[in-house]
Parts: sequence; C-alpha cells; structure tokens
Amino acid sequence: MVDRFLKDSDLAAVTAAWARDFRVLAPVREGAAIVYRLFSEDMHPFLLRPPTSSAKEAILPQTENLFTYKYRKDQDDLTRTEVFLAEALPPEPTLILGPRPCDARGRHLLDRVFLERGVIDPQYKAHRAATLFVTVACTSMQNTCFCHWTGGAMDDESGSDVLLHPVTIGGVGGFVAHAVTPAGEELLATLPEATAPMLEKLAERRAATPEPEPAPDLSDIAGSFLAMFDNLDFWTDQSARCLSCGVCTYLCPTCSCFNITDENYGMSGRRLRTWDTCMSALYTLEGSGHNPRFSRAHRLRNRVGHKFSYHPREFPEAATAPSGLEFSCTGCGRCIKSCPVAVDIRQIVLDVLAAAAEKAPDKVGGTK
Amino acid sequence: MNTKLFSPYVPRPVTLVEKTPLSDFVTRFTFEQDNGKPLAHKPGQFVNLSIYGIGEAPFSISSPPRRTNITFEIAVRKIGAVTSALHALEPGAKVGIRGPYGSSFPVMKFVGKDILIVAGGLGYIPLRSLLFYQLRHRDEFGRMILMVGTRDPKERIFVDEIADLAKSGDVEVLETVDMPDSTWKGNVGVITTLLPKAELDPGNTFVAMVGPPIMYRFVIAECRKKGIASEQIFVSLERKMKCGLGKCGHCQINELNTCIDGPVFCYTDIEAYQEAI
Repeated sequence: MVDRFLKDSDLAAVTAAWARDFRVLAPVREGAAIVYRLFSEDMHPFLLRPPTSSAKEAILPQTENLFTYKYRKDQDDLTRTEVFLAEALPPEPTLILGPRPCDARGRHLLDRVFLERGVIDPQYKAHRAATLFVTVACTSMQNTCFCHWTGGAMDDESGSDVLLHPVTIGGVGGFVAHAVTPAGEELLATLPEATAPMLEKLAERRAATPEPEPAPDLSDIAGSFLAMFDNLDFWTDQSARCLSCGVCTYLCPTCSCFNITDENYGMSGRRLRTWDTCMSALYTLEGSGHNPRFSRAHRLRNRVGHKFSYHPREFPEAATAPSGLEFSCTGCGRCIKSCPVAVDIRQIVLDVLAAAAEKAPDKVGGTK
Repeated sequence: MNTKLFSPYVPRPVTLVEKTPLSDFVTRFTFEQDNGKPLAHKPGQFVNLSIYGIGEAPFSISSPPRRTNITFEIAVRKIGAVTSALHALEPGAKVGIRGPYGSSFPVMKFVGKDILIVAGGLGYIPLRSLLFYQLRHRDEFGRMILMVGTRDPKERIFVDEIADLAKSGDVEVLETVDMPDSTWKGNVGVITTLLPKAELDPGNTFVAMVGPPIMYRFVIAECRKKGIASEQIFVSLERKMKCGLGKCGHCQINELNTCIDGPVFCYTDIEAYQEAI
C-alpha cells in the first residue's frame, strides 16, 4: 500500500469528505478535556494531544438500546395488555478520527470478550464491522504513558485502519497517512502520495525519538498478584486515596463491563446497555444485601487483578497473541492521568511484584 | 408478543399460570412457555426474567427438568424492584425470559452414590430441581439425605412438601431453625449442627449445597471433617448478574464468570479463590 500525505490545512476538508459516507467522531477541545464529538463542518479536529476519553465509545457506546418495547391494550379485553419488542437498529458506518495506537489496540481486548468467548455479542459485532479507526501515531510519550509495558509502541498499527504519522516538511505540517487495512486504503485514495523526502523526514524523526525507560519484567505479575490477593492490608493501603469515582474504568479503552436497565416512558420504553464500573459498591451488591466486594480495597484489587492476572488466565492464548496483548491493559495511562487522587496502576503493579517477591524470595522469576 | 428476534439479549414470552404463596415474603410462580416447548433446563440452572419497564433479574429454576411439560417454576422472595413487580402479577400475565443459563449439578456423577442435599434458607429453591429429578429416577441413586436450615419457623418454605418427602421414606430429612418460636418442636441451631447427626459414607457421598454466603465455609468444613473430599462437594454461588452470557462482568470471580462457568461449581474449582466463598 502506498503511503499518502494529509496536510494539516486539508484535515477539515478531508474529514468533511469522509463525513459524507460515515458518521465521523472527531476529537475537539472542551475546556481542559479533549472529547470525541460528532463531526460537523465548522469543527476543526484537534489531533495534537491524545484525547481524554478512549475510543471505545465508537464500538461500545456508553449507552445503547438492546431493544425497545411497547405495551398495547387488547381492544377486546382492556384488562389485558400485550408487549411488542423491536431489536435495536443496526449501527451506521462510523469513522473515529484521532485515537492513539493504545486505543486501537484496545479493540483486540474488547473483541476477546464480545466475539471470541462464548456467545457472540451481535451488537458489538455490528459496531465493530461498521467502524474504522483513523489513528494518530504518537511522537512522544507523556509521563502517564506506558504502552511499551504491554507490548505496544508509539507507532503500533495493530487495530487501526489508517495510521497518521505527524511530519513537518518545508514548514508544512501534516501526516504521512499509512493504510493498514483495505478499508483504510480506500479512505485515503484521493490523497496525494507521500514524497520520498517526506518519508525520509518521517524515518529521521522516528529514529531520533528517544526510547522509553525499559519496561519492568511483568512475566510474573499474574502469579504475584495471586500471592498478594489475601493481603487485605496491602490493598487497603493501595486504595486508601481511592474515591470509587470510576473515572479509571470509564476512560479505559479495555474496560467492557456494562449494566442493563430499563427506561420507561408510559406504555413504551427501551432496555439499555450502559457502561458500568467495578469501582462502585453497587456493582456487586446482591439483592440479599450480600456484597462480595464490600470495600474499596476489594474493588481496586479487582481492577488491577482483572487486567494483569484474571485476563491472562481467562485467555491463555493471549500470551502469544499477534497484538502482543497479554494483559487487559494497553498502557494508555488514562486511568492515571484522570484519577482525581493520583492512583497509579503502574505503581500498584510494581508494588505487587516487590511485595510478592519479598513474601516468597525463592519464587522470583518462577511460576506464573 | 412477537418472537422472531435473534439477539441473545432479547427475552422470549412466557405466561404466568399459577402463583402460590410459600411464606410471608416468598411466592412460587409457575410459568408456561408461549413457544409450546419444554424449558429443557438442567438441575441448578437459572433464567433471566424480564418485566419490561422494571428490569431483568436472574432466578434459579425450582422445578425439575420436564420432558414434555411446558411449565417451569421459580420461587422468589419479594425484596427489590423486579421481585416486587413480579409479586404484583396475576395469572395470565406475560413476562420475558432468557435462558436457561449456567452450569448444573452433575447428576450423572451422582448415579449409584449417596447424595447429601444441604439447603439453607432459600437454597431449597434451586436444590428442588435436583431433588425431584433424582426422585423421578429414585432407583438409580443411593441414599438421599436432605438437610434444611431456616432462620425461624415463619420463614420455612415448601413445608408440606418437605414433610411429605420425610414420610415417603425416599429421602431422609433433617431440619433445623436458628431461632425457634413456641410452635417449633424440632432441632434448633444453624444448619452445620445437623451434619454430626447424620451417619454418612464419606467415600460414597456427594454433597450439593445452596444457602446464604456465610453457610458455605462452615458446611464445607463439616463435610471435610466427615472425610468427604472436595471433588464430591458441589455448591451454587449467588452473584449479582446482568447479562447471563459472560459479558457484563458483574458476576466475575477472578477469571470465572459465575453465569457461564457457574452458578454450580465443584468445590475444587473455586477452593483457591478467596473471593468465591
């Protein structure tokens, strides 16, 4: 596939052209946040910094109908009502502009839950098939970024349809646009080819990008986590600041938990699927009043454990996945960046490794 | 109700045919499948029941599998939005169900063996599906022992049925209440106090237990004291559940999803998970 060039000054027009065929979600600045909004012609997509929210809303909407229902009175016997159900409408073709490689890789992790285990989730499948990711490669790592801990990289193309590499040449800013999939190639068809100097400039920039600090050895994390599982003092300490606000889970590109509720309007209504958060006490509260995760310590332990221990054990094939994603985390760092009390999952992971090693020094580097 | 919808999240219609109060708060509901087919469940499985506009909740199936009969039963304590709306329904009402979902008690393993059924509180409801399945094939099993524990005599459910079982001689019944009143003449104490009263052949006995979360640890410890191995102990775990399909995350215990890997677990499969019991 030929690499093409997308000039900064053409971005709005090119996006507008895409918007003729797609529902385009593009990142815009709103106050201190960068959020995805439905693209309109008066909007200029903001691609300079990673969006505050992850791109998962394109394929797993924050709220969506599972179906709608309507009660109708039987005209011959008004004491009786009948219910009619209608399945949710199929999703529109969608293009999300501006995710980062960590977001695009998150698609693989959502796929595991919704498509690769047990029943196939038809609605997720439809969103997935209808959605293209036009991803922006990173040129530097923010201090909350740790994609290289989870097998990612600033220019990882896995999960993207197009990867846009920022370049500036002769004072003109833009992107070398690299198609990753045939659908991505089609999107770029009308753009001019990238010239040899552009590609050289890009190669130079990529070569000059400093390597991140080496990632810690996480080969023992699943087992270390289990070794620390019943040390509730450790988890109470780790979760002491946590407010249970759940922003970490809502912004996470891989958190996929959802609630199912009804919204009623008189004789009709809809059954909704809505993002849920395991950081809330209500998440596991049973009708009887019993709650298996009754404290913040239990809940934070669950979030860390799910990402770094339960996931690799639930999907053993993840260890050799082509995406390199063994854990249910792409290292995007949003949970760190947006946490109001600076809970840092990296530090928790390191503390788990250190504490487990201290607990069983002979087991370091041993069983997983 | 239209039925030609294919999403696994869309329920199918069933009709309430009978409603029987079992105690002040618990009622048995008998439903008939509108599709004219038997539910085809296995003992220990559950259905997700929908009352549109109120919500959806999981309930254990209380009746044994039926080959031709298109009815099935659940028994429900009135405790929240869905269960209160359910109690307000009258025969003829239509609701939606999805399922049956989840794992079941491995009845084939129990063939030729003794079975100890330990039912704490509402735990008798799901265990009934196992008990009556085994009773229908009574000759294929060894001794059947039923232990029932209830908080106080007023909370007892299926009282006549359990008395009939005891009289029939097919099942050895031991019952206790935690807090007796003046009418109660039987055993007093938590359900674990019944275990020393029973003579069991530990190598030949399987255990199926359902009850409040606090019960499991103690009953399992008593079983182990009797020499019953973990592989012979089966529990059904309650968790908050939403989807029933292993997707929504609510019922997850480490890497297990209670809705698809459970709710019935062999104790060996969950022994290592401190959050399970």
